[in-house]
Amino acid sequence: MTRKLRIGDRIPLSLRLPALAALLMILLGALASQQVLTTLKRVQNERIRELARIQMEALSVAVGPHVLRNNIWEIYDTLDRAKAGAGATRAAFIAVADSAGRVLAASDPRRAPVDTPIGDIAARAVNLADLNVAAWGKEVLVKEPLIYQGRRVGTIFAEFDVSDLLDERRRISRLLLLWNGAATGFLALVGYFAMQRMLAPVTRLARHIGRSTDAPEPIPDADMPQGDTEIARLARTYNHMVEAMQAKAETERRLAERERLVSLGRLSATLAHEINNPLGGLLNVADTIREYADRPEVVRQSSDLIGRGLRHLRDVARATLDQHRIDRTGQPASLGDLDDIRLLIEPEIRHQEQYLAWEIDAGAETLSAFPAASLRQIILNLLLNAASAAGHRGEIGLRLQEVENGLKIVVSDTGPGLSREARKRLISGGPVTPGGGVGFRVVHDLVKELNGKVNVIRRDGRSLIEVDMPIGERGII
Amino acid sequence: MQFLNRRRFLQAAGGVVMFGARAARAGRPLRLGLTPVFLDNDVAVLDAMALALSSAAGMPIEFEQRRTYEEVTGLLLQGSIDAAWLCGYPYLQHQDELSVIAVPIWRGQPLYQSYLIVGADDPARSLVDLRGGVHAFSDPDSNSGYLVTATDIIRIGERVESFFHRSIFTYGHRNVVRAVAGGLTRSGSVDGYVWEALLIQEPDLASRTKIISKSEWLGFPPFCSRSDRIGKRRIKAISTALSGLGESEAGKRALALLQLDGMTEAGPELYAGIAERMKDLA
Repeated sequence: MTRKLRIGDRIPLSLRLPALAALLMILLGALASQQVLTTLKRVQNERIRELARIQMEALSVAVGPHVLRNNIWEIYDTLDRAKAGAGATRAAFIAVADSAGRVLAASDPRRAPVDTPIGDIAARAVNLADLNVAAWGKEVLVKEPLIYQGRRVGTIFAEFDVSDLLDERRRISRLLLLWNGAATGFLALVGYFAMQRMLAPVTRLARHIGRSTDAPEPIPDADMPQGDTEIARLARTYNHMVEAMQAKAETERRLAERERLVSLGRLSATLAHEINNPLGGLLNVADTIREYADRPEVVRQSSDLIGRGLRHLRDVARATLDQHRIDRTGQPASLGDLDDIRLLIEPEIRHQEQYLAWEIDAGAETLSAFPAASLRQIILNLLLNAASAAGHRGEIGLRLQEVENGLKIVVSDTGPGLSREARKRLISGGPVTPGGGVGFRVVHDLVKELNGKVNVIRRDGRSLIEVDMPIGERGII
Repeated sequence: MQFLNRRRFLQAAGGVVMFGARAARAGRPLRLGLTPVFLDNDVAVLDAMALALSSAAGMPIEFEQRRTYEEVTGLLLQGSIDAAWLCGYPYLQHQDELSVIAVPIWRGQPLYQSYLIVGADDPARSLVDLRGGVHAFSDPDSNSGYLVTATDIIRIGERVESFFHRSIFTYGHRNVVRAVAGGLTRSGSVDGYVWEALLIQEPDLASRTKIISKSEWLGFPPFCSRSDRIGKRRIKAISTALSGLGESEAGKRALALLQLDGMTEAGPELYAGIAERMKDLA
């Protein structure tokens, strides 16, 4: 299942968590500010409502009888005085209308002339209960029914100047914004750095893991987190893991080395056999010469035999020397190398009475694109394994084939097939366990070195190991 | 003019104030009725008048203030008060029962004018321009605050009730100025003496109004007593005190605050102009 990579996923954890902490702090600050402002708004609304209510009630009592008697002057006189003392009452404008909605008097008669309809002002006025400082400008216009002696005689309108309340709110908002901004900013910074500090060991661990291109490195003691926190345990576990991996790699290296020695040992055994056989013959010839020393033709014939036997021994010694030459980076491969391999493997074949199919379809030019030592080792190891797998009177085969831009080596045998471990070791360079296919790890490493590819096929009762080796820039090392 | 700030107390109708240090010594105080023919809302003026009159009369003096001329005239007629500062119009209405005991002299003569005022920015230039507006009268029994304008309207062949869209009574010349200055009414009829005094005492208020016409010179509002009590000691005392105001320091101070020059004596003939207008109204 593929998952879309979000932007957040690209930001490292060591940045994301501190940023989240900072963001939460800022959110908290904003919420707190909002709470304070809401409360302030409510308190202010209650204040202005209470103030307006008291003033409206006082005005109602004062003008009630005059409204009932339609005494315009007295109404005006009352409103004018109320406004003149408006320092405490904050009513900037007051108007009284009769029950028919006509102005009786207003503290500012020019704004609401006597006998004109109050409609315009009434339309803008709100009831006391709906009074809300924020919803209006600097002034709020309130209306209340004018009740006198139990009956409604008119309506009273009052405009209150709330600019000081608005100023107060603005001032508090500004202060709040400044203070909360500074406080949350500080907290956000503290949160950011605290979180980053807490996450530092994780970052370090990630860096150590990330840095190890070949083998992971342990975290040095100086960088180890202190105490018994999860992070410290994680770091310790990581170090244990790295040590275990290093130990395992060392074991594998030793096993691979041993593998080489094992294959060398087996080769030595066949070599000893190979040398021992002609030696028996040569000793017989030597006896014959001693016995018939006076018969020159017998001596000449025997000398020829000795010469042939010694030449064979020389060839075997040379092939062995070439196979184990210390300077592996030397010569390009040639057809002679293939002859050497055949010479080296034949005693084993003969010994097991096996049949060897030898098929070389590659020219000297193609072979010369590969280093002789590696090619010899690969082919010899695969053939030795095939011989071992095929058993007594089994069949093994080697086929070298030129392919486009490369060389294909196919080694086949009639054995029971590769074990899972052996196949894994050959194809993916899996761990070496004692037993199983010998030398596969060596083959894998050499093929990999030459950018080649190993493929194992089981077909018609035969195991086929195919090695494809491209002629690349690294062809000759 | 710090006394301006102390006004307002005596506005309420029926306020009774005792003045004079000698009240306890001299028995029943003299009772003087006051109307809004002058700035009766000024405590400093009332104080100075009380001090000057009580010391001149030799007995304590008590002011009776009522909201309307009618009420004060009623008090005087029924004998509840010894004298009252009335307007020429109510005096003439009750000429057979009342006598003038003193008339103030304003700007050299016992005369004043009625002013027709409008807002300072009003384009009206005469009474006819005010047709259909809202008008402020002072008191239905005031000469300058009602009678003059009412008769002017009648003289141009109109009726007071229909000439203005609406007219109101403010029961005080200062209130007429307030009504016009504040814009409650377009125009107002006011005592010229009060308007001029206001122009000095409260220029912010008076200067928001302007005069568009002045009446002929008419008899200044007089101090009156009941004719049947003219010979009485108490009435003589108050009439002497009024006449001699200009001679004592306290009296001079009171007159200065009232912006008056002094007091004189006069008969009904001083009010002939008002009588003319009364005939038109009837």
